[in-house]
Amino acid sequence: MFNVVIDGSLCSGFGDCADLSADVFELDAHGKAHVRVGTTADPAVLEAAAACPMGAIRVLEVEAA
Amino acid sequence: MTHDPTFWLLARASGLTAYALLTASVLAGLVLKSRPLGRRLKAASVTDVHRFLALLGLAMLALHGAALVLDRTVTISVAALFVPLLSSYRPTAVALGVVAAELMALISVSFSLRRWIGGRNWRRLHWATYLVFALGTAHGLTAGTDRWALPLYLGAVGAVVFATAWRVLTRPGGHHVQRGDRRLAL
Repeated sequence: MFNVVIDGSLCSGFGDCADLSADVFELDAHGKAHVRVGTTADPAVLEAAAACPMGAIRVLEVEAA
Repeated sequence: MTHDPTFWLLARASGLTAYALLTASVLAGLVLKSRPLGRRLKAASVTDVHRFLALLGLAMLALHGAALVLDRTVTISVAALFVPLLSSYRPTAVALGVVAAELMALISVSFSLRRWIGGRNWRRLHWATYLVFALGTAHGLTAGTDRWALPLYLGAVGAVVFATAWRVLTRPGGHHVQRGDRRLAL
């Protein structure tokens, strides 16, 4: 499982994360990314974090509850 | 009486500088995606450098165009800066530069418009940067008069090809993933 956190001060709304992992990320009305669900098993969040041009996404791999 | 070569020298210098800045911006963009140095390079810093180099390149292109209009060595009108094939001096070679510059300006402006055109379309348009680079290289080689600059073009093409191959052949590292550490610090 992965815990996902976005650094709002870095996010510039490129939207790569929402395109790559729409179940986890969404853009708000101001164009900034938000996490829909804080914890997910979807490995697409790794790709989304790697693709972020601002390096604003951190993923913490945790044991499944 | 010989004419003042100031604007001719300025046009050549600014053109070569714009090409070097475009190349550096493309390389910074590729470094951002392939992240060869992992966490030692902050993505946000590389993105800032990437955008700054591109904007500086555009400013240098504006200087390049203005200097060519003001120069008397070759005759290039203001209209010829914007409309391909209007130049009486090497029309095709100049047209390559005109199209490259306009496309580069469009790609730069698209950053501010990505909320309207959508992230996917913005990224698709960003691929056109390779076309800008190819057109800019062809323009420099065919319209430019500085034969000594050939190593600059060869080096730029080699660097972009190498960085592109690196990007294609390597996946970004897992430096954004932390395992087993619940003290997630941002």
